[in-house]
Amino acid sequence: MRADKPVPVVTPAMIVIWLAFATVPLWIERVGLYQYLGVEILIFATYALAYNLVLGHSGLPSFGHGAFFGLGAYGFGLAQFHVAADLWFCLGAAILAASACGAIVAAFISHRRGIYYALLTIAFGQIFWFIAIKSHAITGGEDGLLKIARLPVQLGVVTFNISHNVALFYFALAVFVVVSLMLWRLVHSPFGRVLKAIKQNETRARFVGYDVWRYKAAVLVLSAGLSGLAGGLFAMAQSSAFPDVMSLHYSGYVVMMVLVGGGLVTFWGPVLGAIVFLLARDVIGAFTTGWMLWFGLLFVALVIYRPEGLGGMFLRSARVK
Amino acid sequence: MSLLPHLVNGLALGLLFALLALGFMLILGLMEQINLAHGSLFALGAYFAYAITAARLPLPPDWLEAWAQVPLGWRFTVAMFLAPVLVAPFGVVLERLMRRTYGRDPLYGLLLTFGAAMVIEELIRVVWGTRDYMLPVPRGISGGFVMLDLIWSTYRFWAAAFAVVAMALVWLVIERTRFGALVKAGAHDSEIVQALGHDLEKLRVWVFVMGTMMAAVAGVILAPVWGIRPHMGVDAVVPAFLIIVLGGVGSFWGAVLGGILVGVVVGLSGAYASEWSMLSMYLLLIGVVTFRARGLFGKKSVLEA
Repeated sequence: MRADKPVPVVTPAMIVIWLAFATVPLWIERVGLYQYLGVEILIFATYALAYNLVLGHSGLPSFGHGAFFGLGAYGFGLAQFHVAADLWFCLGAAILAASACGAIVAAFISHRRGIYYALLTIAFGQIFWFIAIKSHAITGGEDGLLKIARLPVQLGVVTFNISHNVALFYFALAVFVVVSLMLWRLVHSPFGRVLKAIKQNETRARFVGYDVWRYKAAVLVLSAGLSGLAGGLFAMAQSSAFPDVMSLHYSGYVVMMVLVGGGLVTFWGPVLGAIVFLLARDVIGAFTTGWMLWFGLLFVALVIYRPEGLGGMFLRSARVK
Repeated sequence: MSLLPHLVNGLALGLLFALLALGFMLILGLMEQINLAHGSLFALGAYFAYAITAARLPLPPDWLEAWAQVPLGWRFTVAMFLAPVLVAPFGVVLERLMRRTYGRDPLYGLLLTFGAAMVIEELIRVVWGTRDYMLPVPRGISGGFVMLDLIWSTYRFWAAAFAVVAMALVWLVIERTRFGALVKAGAHDSEIVQALGHDLEKLRVWVFVMGTMMAAVAGVILAPVWGIRPHMGVDAVVPAFLIIVLGGVGSFWGAVLGGILVGVVVGLSGAYASEWSMLSMYLLLIGVVTFRARGLFGKKSVLEA
């Protein structure tokens, strides 16, 4: 069986993707784009990978994930303003805020499936979004948290300044490398196999003897925490945190990225999806204000004709050759 | 502070919520398809009604002028009946697209209609821009009146009465006609219904058209209460979804009761914390669903798989 072959810790595809990203700051401005777009793509790629742990690998339709991304952003900003302006501490706070809220949500929804799971994640997502908008005193309401600093990276003896977009890009790349490595290990571990079993047939997985509830809860908390990490990075990149990213629309965008990229069938699909989504936003958006109209049509067409997404189409054509 | 006005307003709002949710329930309960575009069709109904009532149509100028001379009451009445008819073709197109997802995981239908909702919302932005509109309401049903020393909004009472009539019509169609019986039988066992020689495809289109027109009707009626803006679709579809799950998927009375319950809870919580009143409906849902997984009147359905 293919699944029994040991999976290498680092695959050639992984190295190619990392190296390709590493060259981005060298040419991105020459093709008419800008450095900050690279930062955004890496952050959303990290977020989409973390999200796909839930949707693609475990088959759990979470439609309120934007809440965790936003909680991470607020966690980062608030920790910086009120506790300590240290990068590692603030990123830790982002992860902690998102995963703690993920744990609360998980406690309520982990025994649900399918559409009911989807609905409850929407309801919880709306609750967090609503609280973020209405708690003016803490989150700044619709105006958001402003003037979030890009804190220097302290590594023992050396310290890097990441206020410049290229430096921030490499820091985001480092985070992306760590997260993707970790997720790759996770989905190919015994834990990941159980997730796959739950995705294929939850009832059977339960009858085999797995405590499905615990796995579903764990995977949501983990995914929420990593989404929060991406959200923390985003707050730093934007120098601000807004409730927008927690809305149902934004939660839908990450679903679109993952599906368009082919997250249901390939590990790297979400990364491709994040690239396509953000490029479409900028490139189509340069010609027309209704770029979402065209991306929405692409999305609809993919769901109808190619639910495996672009990544799946690529894999299929590669296999045929 | 008297709670009576909040209770009555909540009740009226609840009937409108129930109307909004019923169209959604039709498609979900009878076809086991989640139509996340319901909110966008609702928004389209409101925009079309605005375009008709305010005489902002792509018509020759002299026609428009003649139309604008018609008394507002008539323009509003025409809009109320014409807007749902104009929205109906969108439902037909949506059903054609969704056909591909029948029999697959219901998630694909949900994703497809989510995409469709995005597309319709963007279309609205392209055509009407991002500004807000107010639907002009005839003088006879706008404004307020005094009762028990309190001021009440006249329109809300009219809207609630209209919602009751519309819901009664839907009930009659589902429960008292051959069409309703066939559709319900089709949801129960599509193979038998087809084997008996009924065109299930046609039935499905009609269910979708009915659901779409109900969304549009709800849009027209709720527009003067909520205002018309591109985002109104999402603001509407989430409560609709929530009410159905709260009441129990596939149950007519569940949807009605769920809608009223949500309206009353939102109304009453508005008495104490108006800023936070919308939050109460989510908390209500989580509370109910934690203890009754299938909602108040729910039966086991395919959606749990």
